[in-house]
Amino acid sequence: MSDKDDTETPVLTETVPDGNCEPAKNSECVDQNAKPGSKSEPVGSTRKRPEAKPSSDLETSKVLPVQETTSKDVPQTGWGYWGSWGKSLLSSASATVATVGQGISTVIEKAETSLGIPSPSEISTEKYAPGETNAKENENSSPVAGPFGVFSTISTAVQSTGKSVISGGLDALEFIGKKTMDVIAEGDPGFKRTKGLMNRNSTLSQVLREAKEKEAVRTASEVTMETDKKTHYGLLFDEFQGLSHLEALEMLSRESEIKVKSVLNSLSGEELETLKLELQQLKETFSLAEFCDEEEEEKKGDEDFTKEITELFSQLHVSSKPEKLAKARNTAHEWIRKSLTKPLAEKGEEKQSEAENNERVNENSVEDIHAFAIRSLAELTACSIELFHKTAALLLHGRKQEVMAIERSQTLSQMTVMLCKELSFLSKEFTTCLTTAGVKEKADILNPLITAVFLEASNSASYIQDAFQLLLPVLQISLIENKMESSRHEQQSQRPLSE
Amino acid sequence: MATAPYNYSYIFKYIIIGDMGVGKSCLLHQFTEKKFMADCPHTIGVEFGTRIIEVSGQKIKLQIWDTAGQERFRAVTRSYYRGAAGALMVYDITRRSTYNHLSSWLTDARNLTNPNTVIILIGNKADLEAQRDVTYEEAKQFAEENGGFMLKVNIKMGENVEDAFLEAAKKIYQNIQDGSLDLNAAESGVQHKPSAPQGGRLTSEPQPQREGCGC
Repeated sequence: MSDKDDTETPVLTETVPDGNCEPAKNSECVDQNAKPGSKSEPVGSTRKRPEAKPSSDLETSKVLPVQETTSKDVPQTGWGYWGSWGKSLLSSASATVATVGQGISTVIEKAETSLGIPSPSEISTEKYAPGETNAKENENSSPVAGPFGVFSTISTAVQSTGKSVISGGLDALEFIGKKTMDVIAEGDPGFKRTKGLMNRNSTLSQVLREAKEKEAVRTASEVTMETDKKTHYGLLFDEFQGLSHLEALEMLSRESEIKVKSVLNSLSGEELETLKLELQQLKETFSLAEFCDEEEEEKKGDEDFTKEITELFSQLHVSSKPEKLAKARNTAHEWIRKSLTKPLAEKGEEKQSEAENNERVNENSVEDIHAFAIRSLAELTACSIELFHKTAALLLHGRKQEVMAIERSQTLSQMTVMLCKELSFLSKEFTTCLTTAGVKEKADILNPLITAVFLEASNSASYIQDAFQLLLPVLQISLIENKMESSRHEQQSQRPLSE
Repeated sequence: MATAPYNYSYIFKYIIIGDMGVGKSCLLHQFTEKKFMADCPHTIGVEFGTRIIEVSGQKIKLQIWDTAGQERFRAVTRSYYRGAAGALMVYDITRRSTYNHLSSWLTDARNLTNPNTVIILIGNKADLEAQRDVTYEEAKQFAEENGGFMLKVNIKMGENVEDAFLEAAKKIYQNIQDGSLDLNAAESGVQHKPSAPQGGRLTSEPQPQREGCGC
């Protein structure tokens, strides 16, 4: 054992100074829109969807409609994923339009004014052909309006205004995504410092931790209300150990990245070119993670999600199971289902039985729903990141690989899409709960809650996508090690032949 | 857990290291949940636990990284040492092999953390006195020979667990007070939250990173 230590330690000590990878990160983080967690190389550029290529690649026909709307935002934002995320939120927005009428426009207006983005109509005239918007709106709002027969008339009434609102809302929500960091630290006097941090050299989890710490301080000193803590996404996310797992995953990712670089440096000629090509192929599977499917009817039961995620996980051939995640997800869905099926009058007692999920429940149901929504989103996200971290640890533990790295990355990419869709779906469900429970509430009470749910859902999706990107170096080094392993085997088996 | 107070002034990062099956996860569980866990599953990579403790009137949040002990995870767990303020090095007093491997764990702990990291040696399962395989004296000698770390060799479940975590925290806090641990250093393993209510004594917060665009 001590022999092994001797050979391995030098590799690790190299990593301690950490100086060589910092400058690259710095330059990348100068743009505040750049994701703080994105790795300088080789992941950095993969954030954008592969617009130039897809026509030659798989599944392009499905991708195209999405790109039409999102590609325009990419240069502006640099956050390729937001486009499609925004799209999936679109249907949530229209669901809200269908149910509360003017609600969503107020939400968006509020969001816009507070975020300083252009007005919906401006955006819609600039960016969308009216026909396109119309089609989307109808497609998305009608199935949702169905169950709420009462509101369907309202739905038609707001259709005309809804059009510009929704298309504007799409942009607004994308913008909200970009501004997520701002909002995390909203009301945070030390926020500039946080941003300064982000621009310097910190990793994503550091920045998040920082923002969270600041917020925790504020929460502790200024706002003592129990509800505030209960609905603070960052605090909850940390409580579910999401930050810790993200930090650990970052550490594994960083080390892997350094190892990959040193392997590449040690190779030359044809060998190097072959490996580079293979790594490139791997990298491409990481840029395909997007919501490429047209918004399908998402009426999956609990079993389906559990089955699907378990299935995907088994394809990874790592000895970890997504039980915790599935459980968290199913709890959320069960809660929503109950909350929607019970008439309003019964809500109070109904939730008492759910007390274990929601701590001490107070009487105000809209706030309850909001608190539970935020909590669920934080928990699901933390579980997802934990899964990615465990996957990374298992990929790196050096057992013989049964599955090709590229297959794994495809599976992980599918998983990322699935998780983000699930979050989007959940947020929709939660806002439906909110609008149903809050029919009597004033807009200025209800709307911020709805906005918050959407915000944190997009927040969640971005954490998950970041965590996914962190897996690339891990898969790369696993590919390299697997290659070395098999070439060693080949050499061993060839030797007797040649003799 | 949602009612846990958030008003702590420091965060210390701990790692727990040692051979497989010495009871690292149990120690953590014992410390964070105050319950004995008879059957821990093997840890994959690392698991986490947190608890807020108080040292000299300061609330400190311990963020504990419970690493996997299996040899096959060794390369992975080495990645997690960085930035630990405290390292709990655990062996099982009923299994000599776990004691024999200590020097290798110590090497890792020394190489992969910073010089100020407080290392505590924990001889676990002292309740199984009848099966004792490693004497207190030899462990003490090991600690002395290798110098510079603290010894806590008589851990019985529920008894001295608390002590081990607290003593490490006291030592770290002491290092902060006497200035030997630089909070501004990148990997001190300590985060300070100066504006926390009780931490009012320090107002000059460490703000190394103020430049950068303030937009």
